[in-house]
Amino acid sequence: MGGTFDTAVENAWCPGCGNFPILSAVKKALESTGKARHEIVLVSGIGQAAKLPHHVDVNVFNGLHGRALPAALAIKMASPRLTVVVTSGDGDIYGEGGNHFIHAIRRNPDIALFVHDNQVYGLTKGQPSPTSDIGWTGSLQATGVISGPFPPLAVAIALGCGFVARSLAQDVELTAELMRQAIAHRGFALVDILQPCVTFNRKNTYQWYGKMAYRVPEDHDPSDRRKAFELSLSWDERIPVGVLYRKEGRPTFEEVHPGVGDPPLHARDTPGEAVLAMIRKRLLSP
Amino acid sequence: MGIDVNIRIAGGAGQGIHTAGNLVSRIAVSAGHHFHATQDYMSRIRGGRNSYTVRVADAPVRAGSERADILLALDPAHLPHLLPAVNPSGLAFSDLPPGDAPGGVLAVPLKEMAISAGSPILANVVGAGIVLRVLGVPVEAADRLLALDFRGDFLEKNRKAIRLGAEWAEGRVSGRYPLPEAAFHPRLIVSGNEALAMGAVAGGCKFAAGYPMTPGSGVLHGLSVDGPPLGLVFEQAEDEIAALNMAIGASYAGARAMVATSGGGFALMVEALSLAGMLETPVVVVLGMRPGPATGMPTRTGQEELAFAISAGHGEFPRLVLSPGSVEEAYALAHHAMESAEAHQVPCILLSDQYLADTVVDADPDDFPVLPVRRRIVRGPDVPRNGEGRYLRYALTDDGISPMAVPGEAGITVVADSDEHAEDGHITEDHASRIRTVEKRARKEAGLAAETLPPLLSGPPDGEAVLFGFGSTKGVIAEAREILARDGVRVAAVHLRQVWPFPSEQIDAIVSRYGTAFTVENNRNGQLARLIRAETGRRVAGTVARFDGLPFTPESLAGEVKERIWAERSTRR
Repeated sequence: MGGTFDTAVENAWCPGCGNFPILSAVKKALESTGKARHEIVLVSGIGQAAKLPHHVDVNVFNGLHGRALPAALAIKMASPRLTVVVTSGDGDIYGEGGNHFIHAIRRNPDIALFVHDNQVYGLTKGQPSPTSDIGWTGSLQATGVISGPFPPLAVAIALGCGFVARSLAQDVELTAELMRQAIAHRGFALVDILQPCVTFNRKNTYQWYGKMAYRVPEDHDPSDRRKAFELSLSWDERIPVGVLYRKEGRPTFEEVHPGVGDPPLHARDTPGEAVLAMIRKRLLSP
Repeated sequence: MGIDVNIRIAGGAGQGIHTAGNLVSRIAVSAGHHFHATQDYMSRIRGGRNSYTVRVADAPVRAGSERADILLALDPAHLPHLLPAVNPSGLAFSDLPPGDAPGGVLAVPLKEMAISAGSPILANVVGAGIVLRVLGVPVEAADRLLALDFRGDFLEKNRKAIRLGAEWAEGRVSGRYPLPEAAFHPRLIVSGNEALAMGAVAGGCKFAAGYPMTPGSGVLHGLSVDGPPLGLVFEQAEDEIAALNMAIGASYAGARAMVATSGGGFALMVEALSLAGMLETPVVVVLGMRPGPATGMPTRTGQEELAFAISAGHGEFPRLVLSPGSVEEAYALAHHAMESAEAHQVPCILLSDQYLADTVVDADPDDFPVLPVRRRIVRGPDVPRNGEGRYLRYALTDDGISPMAVPGEAGITVVADSDEHAEDGHITEDHASRIRTVEKRARKEAGLAAETLPPLLSGPPDGEAVLFGFGSTKGVIAEAREILARDGVRVAAVHLRQVWPFPSEQIDAIVSRYGTAFTVENNRNGQLARLIRAETGRRVAGTVARFDGLPFTPESLAGEVKERIWAERSTRR
């Protein structure tokens, strides 16, 4: 008996891939919204993680490498009532799409972004990603990564993202819960998911994440931006998971954009009198 | 034309040459005449050597002229550069002490008069007052137009400035190029860029995004001003890559969408252009060409992207490429692009350039009609479903066009994927399915070709040569043809409004009929000549090329064509 959002599309992930529990969490989170499949759009870029939308029976826009966010933003602008969720990988969102990541947060559309962060390029077979640790040896860096890792959560907090969380792929319950909260959050919401790559990343394994990860303490006040920023940079000793930062109330892009709203763009007509008025503005009459 | 006066107002950026030129243009229209304005400007915010040239005539004009009859040089330092183009019988004014004026230049205390009018920045308006008197137009004619632009105290200062200029000119040069009062007809005052934006908005464009780049920015400006009252949503993107991906996202969600850029920005958009081809999302791209490669001459004109536009993108996919030759065509083709992109579910490129973008003319309101917007989106019971009740976004059809539904409709999901996909939109690596889908997309080419806008042929049916041009050269070639005809050289002209799908059969027939054919192109390589050869197998005699960053002018083009025809004849004998 298949779940509400199951599809029959053949799955191409490696056995044991961290994408599987993330897929389960996405379906759980979407089911918890109570939305019908036609009310949801899953948007992704390119990479193994970016294939996730094919396994969820909702509207799907699987675009170009790194370009999920601009497409998602425009879909949300065109039809603000759609629940728009972007789910893609660390290379896609933080590497190729780094510029879009920054500007999506600045705009604050009501979009939830789930990043499958496995610190490696899997589909291109084992190169380091922007989040790979210094010293990690990938197929193109035989002597080890020398550039510092991109800190997605710290960058998101610095830019004013209103919901910043980290999860652990193998913890489906936690991941689904954080995703549910991210979707419910009004505004841009980031869930960075620590995800093992069972084929190419021998360091950041299920066991390694399991040992390093700890739940954000009960007494952590997620509205404390300074503390959240400090937690977001914690990596070498232990890695906090859960909601690091949350601040409600910042108006969403759709709320402040003067043209976005009802009716959706596809339902707007082009009245002849308005066209005529536009033309007549240029008329020089006696 | 009985009246044909070319007025050049020159100065640095920030000196108000645009305002003065605009005022003179509208005065001419108010007096029942016509104008064509071109802009020549440098890539800087302040200073430099810029000019705004208004050609006034008693019939509609569709080309600029190099020779100036009246020159108003707000900065005397520019005179050495500007004087060679002044007609020997023409008038030149500049702000100089009387003793310092070079031969043929009238010294005018522009700034001094501006200060007495209330502000030194009004030197341009003082100059406009002089031009009005040279044209024999009473200053009162300017008052109503000034009142459209200015209010209160500043309006009064402008009125004073224009009077001071007119009084100075009175007796000295008044009526040297008389502009008789003619019957006034309401006219639209429109630039090429404005017309592109208006056509798109009239064509139902509801989403636009862009990253500023000359000369595409003017289209974005038009869209952001004219679009919102008609429900268009505009977003300034973080880069051109985002801009076209946004437009494609909006289009997936059912909105007619457009972006505007120049060559460098288009280069960044090419990846997404290919995505539009794969997803079969309608989208319109305005490519305002300028000289390249790389950053080239950012504010000048060129036609170096014909080959790029028709072949941009990885992989094979159908597209439509249009090249408007006038502001009227810019309006009509932008509307056509919106309709056609959606009808065929393909990307459409509008090839413009800086010359057309910044050209301003007076146009007949009837040439800006309100045309129907025919949406093709399927909804409700019209959404086709397969036996399992699923909507197939990429259903295989005879014409290659699959019924397009939009996300949000109950009971269906819309799946679009940049990977090769099956009819349901989901990824597939099945080779047989790949062939079926590629052929489905390719079938759209026949539909596009069947609707090709034919090239416009004008001139004698058996001339000595035929000139081929695309885009902004239309008006210049037309006037050059008339000059040649007056000189006894019979030449035909062909303007291509659509360059892809290429109108091969018509072009083939025309080349074979005239024998000697030249292309006229603002590029070095003769890209249209190569395209004609590639698509028809016919070789043209050559290309009249101009690639200094400036547009062709009728006089120089006519002269060049005459020489080329003579040379061609000589070598044949």
